[in-house]
Amino acid sequence: MSDIMQFGPSKALTFGIELELQILNRRDCDLARGADDLLRVIAAGKSTSDIKPEITESMIEVATGIHERYADALAELRAIRETVVTAADRLNLLIAGGGAHPFQHWSERKIFDQPRFKQISALYGYLAKQFTIFGQHVHIGCADGDSAMYLLHAMGRYIPHFIALAGSSPYQQGVDTAYDSSRLNSVYAFPLSGRAPVVERWADFVAFFEKMKAAKVVESMKDFYWDIRPKPEYGTIEVRVFDTPLTVERAAVLAAYVQALARRLLIDRPVTVDDDLYLTYTYNRFQACRFGLDGLMIDPHSHEHVPIHEDIEATCRMLAVDAMELQSTEALNQVALWARERISDARWMRERYAETESLADLMWKQSQYWRAGS
Amino acid sequence: MNPADFPFIPAWPPAVTPLAWVALLLLLAIVAGEATRRWLRVSRVIGYLLVGAALGPHAAGVLDTNTVLTLRVFMDIAVGLLLFELGQRVDLGWLRRNPWLLVTSVFEAMLTMIAVYAVMRLLGVAVVTAAAAGVLAMATSPAVVVTLVKDLRAQGQVTERVMLFTALNTTYAVIGLAVIFGWFHAENARSPIMIVTHPMYLIIGSLLLAGLLAAGMILLLRLFGRSPAFQFAITVSIVLLTVAAASSLGVLLPLTLLLLGMLARLFDRERHFVSLRFGQSAMLFVVLLFALAGTSLEFRGWSNALPMALGFIAARYIGKLVPLLLLAKVSSLTPRKASLVQLGLTPMSGLALLMLSDLSEQAPALVQEIAASMYLAITILAFAGPIALQFALRRAGETAEDAK
Repeated sequence: MSDIMQFGPSKALTFGIELELQILNRRDCDLARGADDLLRVIAAGKSTSDIKPEITESMIEVATGIHERYADALAELRAIRETVVTAADRLNLLIAGGGAHPFQHWSERKIFDQPRFKQISALYGYLAKQFTIFGQHVHIGCADGDSAMYLLHAMGRYIPHFIALAGSSPYQQGVDTAYDSSRLNSVYAFPLSGRAPVVERWADFVAFFEKMKAAKVVESMKDFYWDIRPKPEYGTIEVRVFDTPLTVERAAVLAAYVQALARRLLIDRPVTVDDDLYLTYTYNRFQACRFGLDGLMIDPHSHEHVPIHEDIEATCRMLAVDAMELQSTEALNQVALWARERISDARWMRERYAETESLADLMWKQSQYWRAGS
Repeated sequence: MNPADFPFIPAWPPAVTPLAWVALLLLLAIVAGEATRRWLRVSRVIGYLLVGAALGPHAAGVLDTNTVLTLRVFMDIAVGLLLFELGQRVDLGWLRRNPWLLVTSVFEAMLTMIAVYAVMRLLGVAVVTAAAAGVLAMATSPAVVVTLVKDLRAQGQVTERVMLFTALNTTYAVIGLAVIFGWFHAENARSPIMIVTHPMYLIIGSLLLAGLLAAGMILLLRLFGRSPAFQFAITVSIVLLTVAAASSLGVLLPLTLLLLGMLARLFDRERHFVSLRFGQSAMLFVVLLFALAGTSLEFRGWSNALPMALGFIAARYIGKLVPLLLLAKVSSLTPRKASLVQLGLTPMSGLALLMLSDLSEQAPALVQEIAASMYLAITILAFAGPIALQFALRRAGETAEDAK
């Protein structure tokens, strides 16, 4: 087994958050080329958080450290927001959340000057530039590779929850796509997107990876664009289906929801990992992307149809104890409220757009919402 | 055959109407512009200028001074659109969020003025005239900056800062020129009231006119919504109205237009301008502007004028370089990019010619001693400027080509 596939154990149920953010100009709120200047200004400051370039010059990625408590993660995210917004102010740029820019032209994007990004661009062509989309990744620490693989598959059932709660990319290329999360459609264009193979033991997963590598389909785990993928060097699984929410507060709540769910799944072990698990997976995922909290999900075993918002509310009741243990009751209550009232970022965006029917104005409001928070 | 039998055939050669001049000039300039871009790999602006210069009164003389004057209205329209657009792209709020930019801008303009003044004095130029040359040197050509930025679809810190500093140094220069007029009156022992009131009228008049029209523009945008086509039509009509009003009232045209753009953006609380698409529609006027500016460029009497012209250019270069480098770090820019911004501020063109001719009108005797050198310096910078700016934006990696 190659060293990079050694599962470096981490403390179970710790978590970390990565957010990809949009950089806009203040004139017409289109995506701006400013990542390198922004990163330089941030580096000259005293922030200790991890802030990195992403594939195009119009995005940056920020990441928290490893946290056990919702409140600590939220505090760090707020500090990061402060750092980034202050630096952007000095350069006359705006920062915004949201899963996609509503009217950018992908042909205008510039690939960030780094070998890996240039390689991706050369391989995927226009897909790489169209990949100017912005996601939130939540890492959950796992004690060992086997529990990571179990958690990865058990979480699969809840993917529609995550998509519906985070959907914030209704507009792309100047039109309402009718989807709450159009961003995921861009991800699914990649050949290595989708889900991990149905294997429950880490050793079996490594065998799968080695075969794919020997066949020269992939070079590293980074080449898989799965909804959830293991990250052996961190000792985590990484949930990648969230659109970047419009505020850091929502991002922290979503991470806390994943953490509470992970606790329950690891304690109860309610799921048998088999092919049936994924029977309705792509259908449910589509429903969540298209209809958000109003989408329907079908249970792969009972074949029962349930609105996603109802399933989220039921899950919140199930997780009450876990949230109490993890000191994230506040976050869980928030999720339940969002489900009950169908409060989503996609809805916020459509309502703001209706006020002026200007996507540029919507982006301005999005940037102000990001700055003010909550 | 008796010509009387064919009264419908006009006399030969047919009369060349102003419209024909416009059409010919446009065609030639556009062809030359494409040629310079493709084969010389420099900005089209150079081609436009060359056509104007070649046909102008100083060279072939096909276009005499009178013809150029009849076409003046096209220049005013182009200048109006370009200056308004520059003003509208400038975000005065940025100066509040990054106050070092204001410091840099003031320092850059002041040092340029002082350096040029010092060189002129060393060359034996009179005090007021040397100061006037210093004021001229402050301004970067707004037309060249806006045209190239749009042409190259440039965006980024260097682009944004070149536009900001250009708008500001043009504002300082135009105001400075108004003050110089007052000074001329003092030198000529005109009434003390005029020394104060003339500059005051020019500056305050421009400000009031711009404020009024900017408020009117925002009101109309608010009433009639956000359709981009409508917004564009409203904006262009008000710019034309401003050009006309500023000439009729005898206030400072460039200042009024820049202020119109900046104030309209400042008053725009509901952000109507975020969806304004200014596009390429003004392109034809811009081509004419440069071609006509080219006709004023001076290619004769180089040898005598050259030393002073080179002194002027060198002093202007240093005056802009030092402040930008010194204040790069505090204003959050690398020294490399700061030096590219400085290079981007090189262009001088139509506006400088306009200011020079205003000066000659107000005080012909005083400007006499520097006029030849100033025309030569402006000619050199009219060609070197676009090349320098294009180089700077390319090196900064901010043009659309870099996205490929």
